[in-house]
This record gives sequence, structure tokens and C-alpha cells, in this order.
Amino acid sequence: MNKTINQKAWFFVIPVFVLVAFNAAIPLMTVVNYSFQETFGNNVFAWEGTRWFKQILLSERFHAALGRQIAFTFIILLIQIPLGIGIALTMPKKGWGVPVCLILMSMPLLIPWNVVGAMWNIFALPDIGFLGHSLNGLGFDYNFTQQPGDAWFTTILMDVWHWTSLVVLLSYAGLNSIQPAYYQAAEIDGASRWATFRYIELPKMKKVLTLAILLRFMDSFMIYTEPFVLTGGGPGNTTAFLSIDLVKMALGQFDLGPAAAMSLIYFFIVLLVCWVFYNLMMKNEAQS
Amino acid sequence: MFSNLRAATWGEVGKAKEKGFFDFDLFSWMAWTWQTAAFFIFIALCITVMLIWEKKVPGGSPRKGILGLDTTRGDRLFVSLLGSAFIHLAWLGLVGSVLWIASIICVAYFVVVFKYV
Repeated sequence: MNKTINQKAWFFVIPVFVLVAFNAAIPLMTVVNYSFQETFGNNVFAWEGTRWFKQILLSERFHAALGRQIAFTFIILLIQIPLGIGIALTMPKKGWGVPVCLILMSMPLLIPWNVVGAMWNIFALPDIGFLGHSLNGLGFDYNFTQQPGDAWFTTILMDVWHWTSLVVLLSYAGLNSIQPAYYQAAEIDGASRWATFRYIELPKMKKVLTLAILLRFMDSFMIYTEPFVLTGGGPGNTTAFLSIDLVKMALGQFDLGPAAAMSLIYFFIVLLVCWVFYNLMMKNEAQS
Repeated sequence: MFSNLRAATWGEVGKAKEKGFFDFDLFSWMAWTWQTAAFFIFIALCITVMLIWEKKVPGGSPRKGILGLDTTRGDRLFVSLLGSAFIHLAWLGLVGSVLWIASIICVAYFVVVFKYV
């Protein structure tokens, strides 16, 4: 059979190509250009070589921001993944409870980032916010605008509130796709609830969980709006995660060169993690 | 014509630059230098070579490499480029100068990745 070969269809790709060029390729190239130069504005640039990269790699400020970022991502993954699986396990499988639970779960996901930040800011204010006022009323010395520990606690709580649902929905979908035969077999073998979870549900959820971890990792690693609105990176620099620190450097101090170098390093880290997760997912795919 | 692809040195900052071929406002904010242009030309060349290679030997020569991953030529190029970025960064952070040694290590790394990964 002879297939007609018509390459004209490639012309339809041109609009996307132009779009990607303008919103990804050209800005990225510009960042690379800026990362090797110094500027004071007015399109006047001076060559600096690898100075900014060296400066960022050796700067304690960057190490601290990266450390905070890794700690934050690690903590929220540690909370959200088990919590999400737990909630998904307790959700009803049929009846009127299903739509109710699903809608309740998806509500936080529908709220824009800056609104989440503003909501939690007001909610946690120590004098008038419900959470802040109640905690203080209960005798805790809580003030997220002044105490780093409280700021971290609030930021993590906010992220857990906002994003655990995503893990729940993914796990729930994974759980629902398990054939009843597996459960019947487990019952016949007299498997305990834990054994059913460990040897049937968890392996069957492996694919969706990898996806959930990847999504939650990327989102939390690049988090900006919520902590920016909630704490603004404060008190001091204690909740200044990578992107908050980056914006401070680029727009606050107008250090475009170092900021460009920092964003490239940031970008490489994100790319590396993406690649690792992509390969993990492909491995899962190949196994099943 | 290419004079304005060269970044100004500190001595030239503030002096009026002569208007060159590439010096239109749509473009000058991108702050091109010949070094970064060369880098992107290198990337474009890599992709072109991959394209020609794929035409010559179609299929991407998939295999299971030493990392236990199923890779094609494209994956190997990605791993090489990303790895090179990290090698250069590590060299900058740990050693700091004579960056071209890192580049030589990267060439070796490229060969290893294309052979075994």
C-alpha cells in the first residue's frame, strides 16, 4: 500500500512554534545572555564571564535558600503523600458520598494561588484571624509575622490544605482502577487490612503515586505566590524559598546578572529532577 | 557588522556605541554576545546532527544502557548536555578557574554517554 506523503501539514505547526519561541526560547536565551553580563539598564551590558555563576554557587544566601526550598518540599511531600493516600482509602467507593467527597476535595484546587495566600494570611493573623486568635487564646505564643517557626508552620499548613486534595484525587483514581478480584483473592487468603494495602493497593497505585510525587515536587519546588502573599519570605529571610529569593534579587535589587545565573542553576536542578521522575514513570509503564 | 555582538568591556560602558547591523531596539535588549551566540549555535548544530543521524540510521538506536534505562540517541544527547551543565557548575564551584578543563571532561563524558548509557 502506498501512503501519500504530504509534508504540508508541518505548516500548521508554525503558530505553536512561534508561540513557544516567544514565550520560552527567546526569554531563555536572554536569561543565558544576561547571566554572563552586568547591566545597569538602558540596554548597556558589560561582559563578566562566569563571575555570577561562581558568586551564586559560593554564596551562602543561595545555599540557605536552596536548603529552605529542599526542606519545605521534603516536609510537604512527607505530609501530603501519606495523608492523601489515607484520605483516599477512607473515601466511599459508591453512593451519594462519592460526588460529595470529590467536590469537597477539588474545592481547594480551584482557588487561585494568591487568593489562598491572602485567605491564610487573614486566617492566621494573631490579633484578628480565626486561627491566630484561637491559638493565642489557647495559650500558644503564635505570631507568624514575627516567629520563623510559626511562619513555617503556617506555610506548610497552607500548602497541605491547598494541595493534599491532588494526591487524594490521584490515589482515589488509582484505587478505583483495582479489579475486585484482587480483593476477593486477598479475602480468601485471609490477608489483613495492612497486607491488602501493602501488597495490593500500594503496588497498584505506584503509577499514580509517582505522578503525584512528581507534580507535588515540581509545584512545591517552584512555589512562589502563596508564601509571597502569606509571609513575603519573612520574618527576615526565613521563608524566602528559591523563587522568592530569585525575585528579590532580580526585581528588588535589580541584580539581573546574578539573578539570571541563579535561575539557570535553578532550572538545571528542576530539569534533573524531572528527568529522574520521567524515567521512573517510564520504568513503571514498562513493568505494567 | 558583528562588532555589536561583542559585549562592551568596562572601559566602554557609557560610551555611545556605533549602530551596527543587529542593533535594532527589538533585539538589543536580548544582549547577545558572540560567546552565548556560539553556545546556542552549538546546541542547534547538535540538534541538526541528530536530525541527519536519524535520517541516515532511523529508529534512534534504542538500547538498555548501564544505568538500566531504555535510551535513544535523543535521551543520550539530553543526558550529555544536562550532565555537562552540572560538570561545569561543579568545576566552577569547587575549582573555580581554568574552566576549559571542565569542557574537556565534558567531551569525554559525551563519548561515554553515547557509548554506554
